Amino acid sequence: MATIILFAPLIGAIICGFGWRLIGERAGQVITTSLVFLAAALSWWIFLTFDGTTQQIVLMRWIESGTMGSEWAIRLDRLTAIMLVVVTSVSALVHLYSFGYMAHDDNWREGEHYKARFFAYLSFFTFSMLMLVTSDNLVQMFFGWEGVGVASYLLIGFYYRKASANAAAMKAFIVNRVGDFGFALGIFALFYLTDSIRFDDVFAAAPALAETNLTFLWGEWNAANLVGVLLFIGAMGKSAQLFLHTWLPDAMEGPTPVSALIHAATMVTAGVFLVCRMSPLYEYAPQALAFITVLGACTAFVAATIGLVQNDIKRVIAYSTMSQLGYMFVAAGVGVYPVAMFHLFTHAFFKAMLFLGAGSVIHATHHEQDMRNYGGLRKQIPLTFWAMLIGTLAITGVGIPLTHYGFAGFLSKDAVIESAWVGSGFAFWLLVVAACFTSFYSWRLMFMTFFGESRAHGGHGHDDHNGAVHDAHGHDDHGHGHHEPHESPMVMLIPLGVLALGAVFSGMIWYKVFFGEETAVRDWFGMEQVAHGEAHGADHGAVAAVNSEGETVTAEAAPAEGHAAEGHATGVAPKGALLMLPFTPEEQAVVDTRLDAAKVAKAEHPPTTIINAAHLVPTWVKVAPFIAMLIGFAVAWLFYIKDPSLPRRLAQQQRPLYLFLLNKWYFDELYDVIFVRPARWLGGFLWKRGDGAVIDGSINGVAMGIVPMLTRLAGRAQSGYLFHYAFAMVLGIVALVTWMTLFGGAK
Amino acid sequence: MTSADFRILLPEILLSGYAMAALMAAVYTTRDKLAATLVWATAGLFVALALYIGAAGVGERTVFNGLFVDDPFARFAKVTILLSAAAVLVMSQDYMYRRDLLRFEYPILVTLAVVGMMVMVSSADLITLYMGLELQSLSLYVVASIRRDSAKSSEAGLKYFVLGALSSGLLLYGASLVYGYAGTTQFAGILTTVQAGVPLGLLFGLVFMLAGLAFKVSAAPFHMWTPDVYEGSPTPVTAFFATAPKVAAMALIARLVQDAFGGIPGQWGQVLAALAVASMFLGAVAAIGQRDIKRLMAYSSIAHMGYALIGLCVGTAYGVQATMIYMAIYVTMNVGTFAFILSMERDGRPVSDIAGLNQFARKEPLKALAMLVLLFSLAGVPPMVGFFGKFYVLKAAVDAGWVWLAVAGAVASVIGAFYYLRLVYFMYFGAEQDPVDSRMAPVQWGMLVAVAAIMLLGIVNLFGIEGPAALAAQALVR
Amino acid sequence: MVGLEHYLTVAAALFVIGIFGIFLNRKNVIVILMSIELMLLAVNINLVAFSSFSGDLVGQVFTMFVLTVAAAEAAIGLAILVVFFRNRGTIEVEDVNVMKG
Repeated sequence: MATIILFAPLIGAIICGFGWRLIGERAGQVITTSLVFLAAALSWWIFLTFDGTTQQIVLMRWIESGTMGSEWAIRLDRLTAIMLVVVTSVSALVHLYSFGYMAHDDNWREGEHYKARFFAYLSFFTFSMLMLVTSDNLVQMFFGWEGVGVASYLLIGFYYRKASANAAAMKAFIVNRVGDFGFALGIFALFYLTDSIRFDDVFAAAPALAETNLTFLWGEWNAANLVGVLLFIGAMGKSAQLFLHTWLPDAMEGPTPVSALIHAATMVTAGVFLVCRMSPLYEYAPQALAFITVLGACTAFVAATIGLVQNDIKRVIAYSTMSQLGYMFVAAGVGVYPVAMFHLFTHAFFKAMLFLGAGSVIHATHHEQDMRNYGGLRKQIPLTFWAMLIGTLAITGVGIPLTHYGFAGFLSKDAVIESAWVGSGFAFWLLVVAACFTSFYSWRLMFMTFFGESRAHGGHGHDDHNGAVHDAHGHDDHGHGHHEPHESPMVMLIPLGVLALGAVFSGMIWYKVFFGEETAVRDWFGMEQVAHGEAHGADHGAVAAVNSEGETVTAEAAPAEGHAAEGHATGVAPKGALLMLPFTPEEQAVVDTRLDAAKVAKAEHPPTTIINAAHLVPTWVKVAPFIAMLIGFAVAWLFYIKDPSLPRRLAQQQRPLYLFLLNKWYFDELYDVIFVRPARWLGGFLWKRGDGAVIDGSINGVAMGIVPMLTRLAGRAQSGYLFHYAFAMVLGIVALVTWMTLFGGAK
Repeated sequence: MTSADFRILLPEILLSGYAMAALMAAVYTTRDKLAATLVWATAGLFVALALYIGAAGVGERTVFNGLFVDDPFARFAKVTILLSAAAVLVMSQDYMYRRDLLRFEYPILVTLAVVGMMVMVSSADLITLYMGLELQSLSLYVVASIRRDSAKSSEAGLKYFVLGALSSGLLLYGASLVYGYAGTTQFAGILTTVQAGVPLGLLFGLVFMLAGLAFKVSAAPFHMWTPDVYEGSPTPVTAFFATAPKVAAMALIARLVQDAFGGIPGQWGQVLAALAVASMFLGAVAAIGQRDIKRLMAYSSIAHMGYALIGLCVGTAYGVQATMIYMAIYVTMNVGTFAFILSMERDGRPVSDIAGLNQFARKEPLKALAMLVLLFSLAGVPPMVGFFGKFYVLKAAVDAGWVWLAVAGAVASVIGAFYYLRLVYFMYFGAEQDPVDSRMAPVQWGMLVAVAAIMLLGIVNLFGIEGPAALAAQALVR
Repeated sequence: MVGLEHYLTVAAALFVIGIFGIFLNRKNVIVILMSIELMLLAVNINLVAFSSFSGDLVGQVFTMFVLTVAAAEAAIGLAILVVFFRNRGTIEVEDVNVMKG
């Protein structure tokens, strides 16, 4: 069944991409969409019936090279099941949505066919993403990783007539190469260390890696930490974490359904997935985890600040995505991988919905993306408004504090923040502030778009454009304001409705299994139960695992015998999709000071693992994100409903800060100075001096000088005269005979 | 001399008898009207014999007191020769008919040439070698000038004849020296002698014989006849020259150096290496300046013979195998390419200027695509089968320690790729001027497309020729 | 006493004369045909001499074959020459150069 899920989109992509001329564009669209829907249905079935047991479905022998051997196999565990659902569901809805969104597009001329291509790309992306999440070894994962990169490149640059789209596509591709380089290095390092690329072997070797040192660049490093950081660099690229994030906002040049699917719900979360997938390794790499935590928190904060002042509706959501990814990484970094996956899961729903809603707004306003030209759309497009409202409530985390009732984002984000408090106070404070900003920019978006007076006729002149790096999103395509905004067709609204269900309920339904009682979580992910009494002093090397309930946790044990013999890998891969070790004594001491002593005393499980500890944080910590949300909402209301002139005054007052944020902390400019210009200079230098003078010179000398000269000579020798030909033969035989007499026969 | 001996010789006897009977029948009946029938009958006979030889041949036997040998190597070469000759015959029928060239002598002469080739590759004695070679050559001289009213065709015949006779003289002089110093004409006897020690006279004889045979495979510097004869002969004849005789001569070189001089690979190895390098570079360089596609194919075949010789000069069984694979691929590619060249015409007259191919892809996309595949394959561009041919011989050279030779081959193939790609460039991007038409009989079209398909599909396992080629090489190299 | 080397020397001289006849002569193609005959006869002298001195008859058998083939070769050569003459009206060697390059 997993095989069907995996290949249905590929088949769709092939049929639609290569066969649409035969079957027609419409049929191609229908086929891809229905195949993805089939995959989605099967994924839900797997997700709901899955029992937590890891399965490996071998598809074929794949690589055999020296000691490196691996199958092309599907690894089906809880982690995969979650990702399957996320990927196929969002993909299916985006396919459906695209029917409406891509029906008419002014980027294409009359009679040009682009829809089949678009759907084929979407399906190809879905296949690559599924390949990534179902992979059973690192190389297979890398293939999927690159596949989604290619699909992303193709889709960002889908409007290939737009120079900005092409530039954005290239930027995404190049920035991702930096991350992929790290990822590839990580894979090499793991193969070098463990002599295998299979997850099971790698996981089994993880405890040993923690004891190994490795020389890399200038110094000695702990192998587990080094590999962890290298892999995380890959994740940073794909998930747009700080320093490698600059491509994500630009990627919004692609069609909006693409932004929803790839740059919000699925591909960008691949980094989070990678870290969770590699959790058995990261659990032995505490410094790498600390790095992830800090970087994730910084990303969440920086992205939220930039989001405060952006005017392009898609960019606001893009920065919000980046910020939410930061949240997920913080969760992974402090070791609560289930929470990271929880936020990934809920975020996919509400962020896809926000994007599709934004797409609906853009569609309704004839491809206007500047929020300053919206306003008062609530009445014209009421259904979109309600959908966006639900999305905003979800992302800002509205719910009833101290209970488990609320929108999806409330449950998952609060889980992240509570866990962050246990793991790192620094991250906690950044996340809380970011939550406040999130609330502000989300409501700002809502207010500017749907409330107030329509500013569609006002043109552009009313806000300051000075120094704004402003993207010309189809502004010239339309004289906006000539058309009345109109509600989108049903094919676009149905996906919104479905996603709205997810945004409202997904948090409440699955709260227990992602962030409930530890036993439930471990059961859900197929992990071994930790016996709390012993685990307190448990050594890191050995997972104290007791199947106290007598469950049959029949996860595949790693076939580590062969490798153990070679002395590379010792031990057995941990069972289940994730690994969460209990605290070490030192950690425990720190954690105990952070927790609410009264709660700890009453708790039925001692806070020996982070997931238990996170439930025992002080009450003010639990309420903090809610308060932050309320502050954000209130300020947004003040700024954009109560007194709309306030933002401009503030911007003028705090001009440097405003420009700093509006220009995205000047990351692009900084990179331009540090990397792009020197690279361009170097390229120019190599091209003109190195390539032009040295290489071309010599190659051209041979190709343009010597070879034609020889050709002319050969032509002249071929004189047409018999006696010349005979003479050549005689010369040949004389030369051969002489040669043989002097060198051959002399022996 | 038992009946078993004759049974081994059956295909050759059958073909000779057929040729004579056909000659008589045609002369005393309807003459040229019979020609089309004869072409098809001959081709059918070739295919039938190829199947017979491929299927019925077993083991290794030397018959007629050591004059004639039947082994897997001979059978591999014979099957290749027969099939390529049959292919060339059937695809030339339409062309010759329309140009009023279809004389009944043509299939008969081709049959006799093929008999000569079959004798050549089976020879185990200098006399057999010479007789087979001359039977082939004499038939080819006539076929080259079969277009009696054309100055070019008769000039081609004359040049081929004079230079061919010169090469025969060289070969024969070498044979006489070999006979004199070895005391026998049998390869087995010569082998025994050289194992005891190599007198200078024997070495001279070897060099002269190799020079004579190098002429037949048109290896530089004995190649000069090739472009002129290819250009002057009618295109079907050129197609024939480019295929079967090359296989036969290459097989004969392999037979001679391995069976008769197998003990001294160091001596002939250098000679063949020198010929190989000269051929590869000359073929690559001289082809660049060509305007006529038939001349271009001549230089192309010179270069290809250089690669095939690499496999022989390393002296290993793997090398011989590589050469046989290379030759099989080479004739296949040439059959396809010539099927296309045969179809080139302008106002009903055959043309062969390259400029006429400009923008050909726009007019005939499928044929242009098939040609593209073939040209890429000829150039040795990786996914095509032609690449694997080159890969085999270069690998054989590297394995045997002839690294410099492999490097030279690789460099020459880069230079050589240029003119093939130039053809592709003309077909797809050239500036249109005096376009050619491509009128194809179904047979030609089928050959072109089938060969192009083979070039693409063969990458899977080269249609299994590796096994027979290895068997052939093992029979030869002991 | 006339030894083997004398015969071989004569044969070699004839052979070289034959070769020279092919590529020095620029007038008449018939001369080329004669030169070819000369080469083949030189070879025959070689063969017979070797055969006689080694007491092995095979060389003389070979000679018979060479003679036969030489006759056929001469016939074919003359025939081609006649065709060529009909087309071009000349048998000058220097005129046999329509095709070149």
